[in-house]
Amino acid sequence: MPDRDFFSNQVDVNLDRFYAHALLMTKNEADAEDLVAEGIAKAWKAIETLENESRFVPWVMRIMTNHFISDKRKAREKTKHIEYIEEYSDDAEHFSLFEQLHQPFLLWWGNPEKEFLDDLLQKDIIAAIEALPEQFRVAVLMADIEGLSYQEISETLEVPVGTVRSRIARARSALQKQLWEHALEKGLVSQESEGLS
Amino acid sequence: MGDEIKKLECEQAITMILEYLDKELPDHDHEAMDVHLETCRSCFSRMEFEKMLKGKVNALQIKKAPDSLRDKIKKVTGKF
Repeated sequence: MPDRDFFSNQVDVNLDRFYAHALLMTKNEADAEDLVAEGIAKAWKAIETLENESRFVPWVMRIMTNHFISDKRKAREKTKHIEYIEEYSDDAEHFSLFEQLHQPFLLWWGNPEKEFLDDLLQKDIIAAIEALPEQFRVAVLMADIEGLSYQEISETLEVPVGTVRSRIARARSALQKQLWEHALEKGLVSQESEGLS
Repeated sequence: MGDEIKKLECEQAITMILEYLDKELPDHDHEAMDVHLETCRSCFSRMEFEKMLKGKVNALQIKKAPDSLRDKIKKVTGKF
């Protein structure tokens, strides 16, 4: 079982990552600090359940995510589920950045998809993630940042794997739509790019 | 041995790219994607784009933890 020194050292080394993760989830610095502190306290209490020390970071992130979701569930019970309606009214299900950017006739002379990604800054991606509805944001965090499997996400969120699959697909599509709109606003791409594919 | 790898059309492959990158496809579909991507430049480009975008999201480093949080954590871990 990992000991106290291992735990304290790992927390110290990875605190920026935990905070960054919490900040993306809560979108609020004070709430992010509370989430990290509560997550780490919970992680210590559950340290005997950590089977593989190399999985410490995703393990703590998962505990934080569970804590965040649990708090949200409690809040939703009070507000009669109003918050999550936005997920099902989202129309971004099949949006693809690649399709917006790809220009087959330029195949041998240029690569607008790669140029787009090269121009994309971290802050652009963060802004796009923060603009996502909460369930999509959590799905992207768990799949693409924590690197959890669909089965692990299913267990954490207590929803079937099929729901996870669909939610991740929709979340990524919504993220790509946000990035596209952000890029249009910043002038990284022009409206004329649309429909060329 | 003996199980033939199924042939994918681009339309099918496109719907499977993200799960392919997540390593969440059943083995036979993953193998079919491997074969398709070896021969289809368009789907390969699309897969590479999605892979790069996924990598960018994965590599996000947002803000450093503030000193106030480090102090709070020291208090929490000090109690262990």
